[in-house]
Amino acid sequence: MTTPGMIHRSESAVSVELQTPDMTINIGPQHPSTHGVLRLVANIDGERVIDVDPVIGYMHRGYEKISEVRTYAQITALVNRIDWVSGFANEIPFIVGVEKLMGVEVPERAQYIRMILTELARISSHLVFMSSYPLELGATTPLMHALREREYILELIEEMTGGRFHPNFNRVGGVKPAYGGGSTTKKQAMDIPSGYFQRTLEAMDRMDQICKDIDTLVTGNELIKMRTVNVGVIPADKALEYGLTGPNLRASGVAYDLRKIENYLPYDEVDFEVAVREGGDCFDRYVVRLDEIRESVKIVRQAVDQIPKGPLQAKVPRILKAPKGQVYSRAENPKGEFGFYIVSEGGKMPYRLKIRSSSFSNLSILPWILKGQLVPDLVAIMGSLDFVLGDVDR
Amino acid sequence: MSDSPDTTETEADVAVIDPLEGYAEALVEKVGAIGFTLEFDTVRIHVEPSRWVDTIVTANEDLELFSWLSAIDWSKDVEVGDPVDDVDALEERFEVLCRLSSVQNGDGAIFVATLSKDNPSIASLMHEIPGAEWHEREAHEMFGIDFEGNTHLIPLYLPDDFVGNPLLKSYPLLSREVKPNPGDVDVEPMPAVEAEAETPAEVTSEEAAGDA
Amino acid sequence: MNFWLELVLKLVVVLGFVLTGALVVIYAELKAGSHMQSRIGPYYAGGRWGWAQPLADGLKFLQKEDLAPAAADRTVFGWAPYVVMMSTLAIFVVIPFGPDMVGRDLDLGAYYLLAISSLSVLGILMAGWSSANKYSLMGGLRAAAQLIAYELPLVLAVVAVVIQAGTMSLNGIVEAQSQTWFTVAGLEISAPFLIKGQILGFMIFMIAAVAELSRIPFDMPIAESELTMGYLTEYSGIRFTMFFLGEYASMIGLSAIAATLYLGGYDVPGLSGNILNVVGPGVMIFKIAILVFIIIWIRWTWPRLREDQLQKLAWHWLIPLALANIAIVAVFKVAF
Repeated sequence: MTTPGMIHRSESAVSVELQTPDMTINIGPQHPSTHGVLRLVANIDGERVIDVDPVIGYMHRGYEKISEVRTYAQITALVNRIDWVSGFANEIPFIVGVEKLMGVEVPERAQYIRMILTELARISSHLVFMSSYPLELGATTPLMHALREREYILELIEEMTGGRFHPNFNRVGGVKPAYGGGSTTKKQAMDIPSGYFQRTLEAMDRMDQICKDIDTLVTGNELIKMRTVNVGVIPADKALEYGLTGPNLRASGVAYDLRKIENYLPYDEVDFEVAVREGGDCFDRYVVRLDEIRESVKIVRQAVDQIPKGPLQAKVPRILKAPKGQVYSRAENPKGEFGFYIVSEGGKMPYRLKIRSSSFSNLSILPWILKGQLVPDLVAIMGSLDFVLGDVDR
Repeated sequence: MSDSPDTTETEADVAVIDPLEGYAEALVEKVGAIGFTLEFDTVRIHVEPSRWVDTIVTANEDLELFSWLSAIDWSKDVEVGDPVDDVDALEERFEVLCRLSSVQNGDGAIFVATLSKDNPSIASLMHEIPGAEWHEREAHEMFGIDFEGNTHLIPLYLPDDFVGNPLLKSYPLLSREVKPNPGDVDVEPMPAVEAEAETPAEVTSEEAAGDA
Repeated sequence: MNFWLELVLKLVVVLGFVLTGALVVIYAELKAGSHMQSRIGPYYAGGRWGWAQPLADGLKFLQKEDLAPAAADRTVFGWAPYVVMMSTLAIFVVIPFGPDMVGRDLDLGAYYLLAISSLSVLGILMAGWSSANKYSLMGGLRAAAQLIAYELPLVLAVVAVVIQAGTMSLNGIVEAQSQTWFTVAGLEISAPFLIKGQILGFMIFMIAAVAELSRIPFDMPIAESELTMGYLTEYSGIRFTMFFLGEYASMIGLSAIAATLYLGGYDVPGLSGNILNVVGPGVMIFKIAILVFIIIWIRWTWPRLREDQLQKLAWHWLIPLALANIAIVAVFKVAF
């Protein structure tokens, strides 16, 4: 006999919903796997992320404000510090933009040297990715091998420009000519170091070898595939909405490479392919970068073959004044599309310099893509986007 | 309407039209903008602020990649840097810029909307193009421009207790208050240039030649 | 010999062996791992070969400040490393290094081993919970799930060996492996269980052992690049040394168990009797060294598995395979 208040045991709910409150944890700003000072305020429920709010700005250095009080030559020295992993490649869009404004024609030899150094910077940046991404997944060995090979590239860059990470090698009108030799009153402008191209070709052979090694160690590894295939899939239309560029976009199936589209350096005179993969998961982003190293090696070999003789810098006035006008110049940074919007009012300094940094846009997709992922996948996805905080925060 | 120094025109063929000019005109037609400016291979499409979202969304159909969104502060008095070339003729305003690019070819355009200084506010693109959210947050905190409809307009780079909008021309550069511009000091010229400058007659012709 | 004298002697020998062995294994990991990464490894402490590096590390830890987080539960926080260490050391009581060189030859040797080694889960949970740190808690929970999941394949693999040997006593298992299998031209051939059909069991055991050790590829609980050391985050000084030594001691312990169960223990084909008391320890150490080297090798080559993949491996693959293994072994034992 049951009274209205009594519930028969068989009718009561068998499964009780366990209320487990979700945790808000801070990943960063000091953390082994965020590429710099990035803070993610993550709301997690056990192992699953509910939502993520990135907090950036720890490295904001005020580039755009300070550029308003620096002459064009001084800005050239600052610009390579934005994305410090690929030092040389950052200078290119700025210097090309300034040359466009001033109408300066750059000699062929200087353009080839710029191209070689940019591709070396690209290889160097992708090798950093090769070393740090498997480390985040737990494989500790590719770190050492990739960074060891990177030393060869950095030595080459240092030999030519004097700096491993911050070359400051571009000048308006070409590249920096080294002065030495000649008499004490009249110095001669010298060319690049002797035997340089020989060493470059040897380094490129080593790059081929390390690509093969990393292929065996990482790409063919079943466990890496388990961790990265179908993890963090970014469909092409979402990528375009968020402004993703570079290897991230090319891994989602969009063959957009500014080296083929814009003619800021003589890429049309060398033969290379754009590395594209369909799919858009972490594994594709990793393979695209590995393929890009191979393509860059091809470009460097051909450029070394084809480089013409000539001066290293065009004649430009001592005080550089740009005419009034606005120009947007962009280039293919290892991380993506890197652009400068220079607003000049005729003067030594720009009126406004807007920096379009690739990692900023690459990072902005994080809140969307990390919804509902597992915590280990969070690390895998963040690593695969390959951003640098200096680029994000400027 | 628009006109501007078109860098590909030479004296020999005045009739050659820069292909970019044709492209810009077609784009103005398509989105219903006010006009365009073309200089140094950069296309700028001037847009009425009230039609901002419609224009961008229409253009986005061809120019699929949303590249960036930012602003420029045009002021007569500047705390930092040089003022504009023709200070008296300047209309003080904000310009909001949005760059869209195409991924099939090298097309792209920068859409410019002019806002007044008193109450700078424009509709937010965040609901049509989600990537615009962060760019609008940055423009908001740097310039003080209000983006209506952006639900997440909190500071991006600056700490929570920061007062002011740093990229405004009226915002001083603190380090400059402490120490003058290091670039004002005349640097010692390179040896080669100095040697050539020893004959005064050549100095003027070289400096006057400008770029070559 | 006097019971108490024998007891003290055995304690000293076992503790000495385990702790020295742990230091040697730490050195081996540093050197082998660094050569796999084309580095040199320890170079300064102790001359060119850096053999004093683990000693130097140990001394450094001993003189560190005794820190505990303010919100931590001090009793549990303090006891956790000792629980882990205790369960590891207790394994060595039954492992035979020679026919008479064993702490105590229990009849339930295998059973005792598995029971005692699963106490370490308790220690890890204590560490994760009492640290008052969200990362530690997450690490502790991951550890609990992983260790409990991988206990089962471990146990089932051992069950198969017990069936084949017919006894749970470890000395008995080694003797079963030294039994003549067949004679060839007058030579009596005996084979360890690895060759006599336990190859599947051996692989299951090794995978489960690496998972029990929380080493890469199963180091979700520690997951350095995600959780900054997981349940070990708040530990420093002597307590951290206890965990650290405990991990390497378990590595030796589990390798020793595997060597006894699958590789024939102290037995050398052709020798028998008292000479094995002298040669046995050397043979065991050799076999342990091979297995330890394999475990180190795996750690430096592969990335880590995600938690759900780890669990899937245990429940979908290892446990059914282990059950199948038991069935096959039982059938063969009865039929032949």
